[in-house]
Amino acid sequence: MAVLGLFLVLAVFAPFIAPYDPIFQDAAARLHAPSPAHPLGTDNFGRDILSRVIWGARIDLQIAVIGVVFPFIIGTTLGTIAGFFGGIVDVIFMRVVDVVLAFPFLVLMLSIIAILGPGLGSFYIAMALVGWVSYARLVRAQILVLKNSDYAVAAISLGFSRSRVMFRHLLPNAAAGSLVFVMSDAVLVLLNGAAISYLGLGVQPPLAEWGVMVADGQSFISTAWWITLFPGLSIVLLAFGFSLLGDALADLMGVHE
Amino acid sequence: MHRYRFVLYRPLQFLPVLLGISIITFVLVRLIPGDPARVLLGSRATPAAIANIRAQYGLDEPLWVQYFYFIGNLGQGEMGKSILYKIDVLRLIATRLEPTLALVLSSVAQSILIAVPLAALAARHRTRLPDHAVRIVSTLGIGFPPFWLALMLIILFSVRLGIFPVSGYGGSLTDKLYHLALPSLTVALSLSAVLTRSLRAAMVQALESDVATAARARGMPESIVFWRHVLPNSLVPTVNLLAVNIGWLIGGTVVVESVFALPGLGQLLVRAIFSRDYMVVQGVAMVFACATVLVNFLADIITVALDPRVKL
Amino acid sequence: MSAPLLCVHDLTVAVQDGAGPRVLLDRISLDLGAGDVLGLVGESGSGKSLLCRALIRLLPSPKLRITGGAVFLEGRDLVTADEREMLKVRGGEIGMIFQNPTSHLDPVMRVGDQIAEGIRYHQGLSQRAARAAAVEILAQVGFADPNRQYNGYPHEFSGGMRQRAMIGVALSSNPKILIADEPTTALDVTIQAQILRLLLDIRDRRGLTVILISHDLGVVAQTCDRIAVMRNGELVEQGDKRSLLAAPQHPYTKALIESHPSMPGEGVATAAIAQPAPALRPLLEIDDLHVRFPSGAGLFAAGPKTISAVKGVSLRIMPGETVGIVGESGSGKSTLARAILGLAPLSSGHISFDGADLGQNRAKALQKLRSEAAMVFQDPFNALNPRLTIGEMVAEVLRVHGKAVADIPARIGELLDLVGLEREFADRKPRSMSGGQCQRAGIARALAVEPRMIIADECVAALDVTIQAQIIDLFRALTARMSLTLLFIAHDLAIVRNLCERVVVMYRGEIVEEGRCADVFARPQHAYTASLIRAIPDIDPDKPLRADLLSPSVAETGSGRVSDQPSAAFNW
Repeated sequence: MAVLGLFLVLAVFAPFIAPYDPIFQDAAARLHAPSPAHPLGTDNFGRDILSRVIWGARIDLQIAVIGVVFPFIIGTTLGTIAGFFGGIVDVIFMRVVDVVLAFPFLVLMLSIIAILGPGLGSFYIAMALVGWVSYARLVRAQILVLKNSDYAVAAISLGFSRSRVMFRHLLPNAAAGSLVFVMSDAVLVLLNGAAISYLGLGVQPPLAEWGVMVADGQSFISTAWWITLFPGLSIVLLAFGFSLLGDALADLMGVHE
Repeated sequence: MHRYRFVLYRPLQFLPVLLGISIITFVLVRLIPGDPARVLLGSRATPAAIANIRAQYGLDEPLWVQYFYFIGNLGQGEMGKSILYKIDVLRLIATRLEPTLALVLSSVAQSILIAVPLAALAARHRTRLPDHAVRIVSTLGIGFPPFWLALMLIILFSVRLGIFPVSGYGGSLTDKLYHLALPSLTVALSLSAVLTRSLRAAMVQALESDVATAARARGMPESIVFWRHVLPNSLVPTVNLLAVNIGWLIGGTVVVESVFALPGLGQLLVRAIFSRDYMVVQGVAMVFACATVLVNFLADIITVALDPRVKL
Repeated sequence: MSAPLLCVHDLTVAVQDGAGPRVLLDRISLDLGAGDVLGLVGESGSGKSLLCRALIRLLPSPKLRITGGAVFLEGRDLVTADEREMLKVRGGEIGMIFQNPTSHLDPVMRVGDQIAEGIRYHQGLSQRAARAAAVEILAQVGFADPNRQYNGYPHEFSGGMRQRAMIGVALSSNPKILIADEPTTALDVTIQAQILRLLLDIRDRRGLTVILISHDLGVVAQTCDRIAVMRNGELVEQGDKRSLLAAPQHPYTKALIESHPSMPGEGVATAAIAQPAPALRPLLEIDDLHVRFPSGAGLFAAGPKTISAVKGVSLRIMPGETVGIVGESGSGKSTLARAILGLAPLSSGHISFDGADLGQNRAKALQKLRSEAAMVFQDPFNALNPRLTIGEMVAEVLRVHGKAVADIPARIGELLDLVGLEREFADRKPRSMSGGQCQRAGIARALAVEPRMIIADECVAALDVTIQAQIIDLFRALTARMSLTLLFIAHDLAIVRNLCERVVVMYRGEIVEEGRCADVFARPQHAYTASLIRAIPDIDPDKPLRADLLSPSVAETGSGRVSDQPSAAFNW
């Protein structure tokens, strides 16, 4: 929680916290090692790494959040419908899920981005097209179990309408379960987003994004290690924050079961 | 042996999935704005080549007819030509298969060697120091971006220590293994973080299971409880975990091949995307998808072999 | 009695957690002579299982610790023995049988190998010799073809056979004392009787000393020489079986005995319910009902496979009647209940509720059913939505059934009063309530629709006996007060005998017998009913348990009337 909070503060208040403009190129200060003036050093354009890492929090946090929210909403809704109605709807649904899951996640993402053209927008669209599948499958499986739970049967036998049972009784219980998954998914989305940006297909330079920064530093790893080290560490830390939150949520839910 | 009958008919059930895979890859390329022939051949294609590709794919016909052309061509092992390399996509893929396969296999082997002992150590010392250490390290490890981890390993082993090469692939077998060392270690570390976490949970559950309690209640020492009851019961989840993570693994190899300039399928894919070599993108995506289906099938067979309860 | 084999002295177990130490077992003392059979009785949470785990120092959590007392096994104190010695004691001297054989047998190991494992380890036999010995044990515990069945995996056997295998595993290391922790709770009554018989046989043959843990005083009364009663971690009373049952000293023991279902309840059904006025027509009429489910994905199988859960059931229920439906697992009784409420597909036949036919005019019949009939479920926790408070839950029912919003709070209060829950329960969620309280809330929800009929599906099976008795009393009061029609489904014949005026016995999807409770229990017409009744462990030790040797064959053939002639009724 504290880790996530820290990054949230960094992201929101980036303009006030960051000591320099993240894209300002200072020709006089190229490839400076960490020093009091530039605590994390500067890159080959003389940009301050600390400032870029702070501004990067904005984009990477956004990637993790937006990259999870839309798939979560789409997947949960579709999974609930498929699980609840069953029959032919469910069969078709499951085939689609099987097919999408047959593609390695990153490969499908890259293929879609190849068509849409590089950029953050393409990344989000590809996320929405691909990411919902795991949520849908998870929620569907839970709905199938919950549908046969006594309280669902009770609700039906008391004359509640199908939509009431589905959305008021089943969905909240199923979605609660996938909330833990949201956190581990956020880690994956963050890593994939950074990886795609690293490959040059996501966030475009000169915008400060951690994956891009790692790519920038790659040519200088033998001389200026700090350009690659710090953005990478930020990714690790943010991912750690999400993982811990996920574990905490899982414990919380586990206690209630 | 009737439990293994599914090996014969399960491939039939793959048909719809394979069909779906072909539809998606087909649609992917057709969605690109502009003249498909030009998209497929690149901007410098000759009019003759364009006419040729139009005929081969029936590009003037309705979309669903084009799809049948596409399937027909696939059936003949025909996936089109690469713009960049000027050779058949399938042939191109075949030449790039070896490094990727070697990378995947050695990563899986290494990650099992890392994950199983760590998970066992953590589970057997549950809520004590080794457990906490393993949990924190593996939780941190999941967040390591493979591309960054690769660079850090390069800094350590290549730049500082000068043990392993920075990039490329070798000619002889030993040279190849030498070049694969860092890439496969990178992928293995990423994968083993995921594996360790899940495996630890599975083992903790198995150690606290009724089966283990019953074994202890009849006087079995902890070592027998672990080797004869806990481990066999944790193997099935491990195999399934590996199968589930195959996508994660392939994603890792794509990135890592790019970092280390390993001439494998992943690097091919990324280069093809940049050079708008869509036939290659299509082909590689399809091969990866089929590989995933195959791996899941293998996992099913292993599961049935390990767990007498499972019927498929 | 010679010097005691096992002597427990002031054994105390405490849990060490955030809130400081809490005592879970409070100075337990008891003696066990060689060849004794001790029954350990208590409700859930009484500490009876924990006591047995403490004897072999296998506590379920590292937070638990033995904080005082001693356990002497032939003079050695097990509390202070080192771990190496305990390995020999566990299994070798004290063997354990668990309640749930399905989860305690290793699913990926052959049954025979699990028995051989103990033999090899404790007796140091070679692989061949261990196998031979394991086959021997399999035969002893009732496996018909032990050489072949040695290679079977647990999931290939029925529940009863798995429990036999579990007993075999416990015998494998040749213990002197056998602890059986609720060994028959998960089994049907007829199977229960067989397993108890087997345990006693083995005791006699091997000269074993047995501790039998059970929540069912009847089981203990039928099998043990001595009884110890536990409650809240304390041993409240122990003594010779007969004297303890005849003259219980502790009020809790008295309560346990009184709430045992084999005791005749006050004013059995007939008295409690005024004879229903000769009704014009039955409230519920079932005619030749069949329910079939598709089984498995028959993509490559020859033709679609189905399982018949209910086969040709016909039944009439008059308004105000209390009818019990009994049968063992797989008898189709729950499916029947669900079919009546339109929750299971009816393959053929008719169900009509108050004249509305569920087959012909499904929508209309369902509407009628769902406003005039309600169901109470087996698992009180699973039957309530964990995210809603009891008040929200009942309010929703009232709203859906068109109650004016202003009247709802008052009505919730009335309903809670009716089922004997404090009104403050309206703000509680199921997870902060006990099983009995949840079940009361479930009944309140059922009553909220102001039903004419309630179907209770095994609704007391998951509850402790004293709570069971309270819920049964509640049902009795409700039916009398509100002229409810009650369809009470249970596997426990004794409960049905106490509550219902009419009983229907189901077996493998069919009704094998039906009639007035008193008649059926006194003079069962069908062999299956008879074996079912004989298998009820009576709390009176002088009404011995009869593990019916007939019943396995009945189970195989599925039919076999005692006789079609009325005179047969007097043979029993």
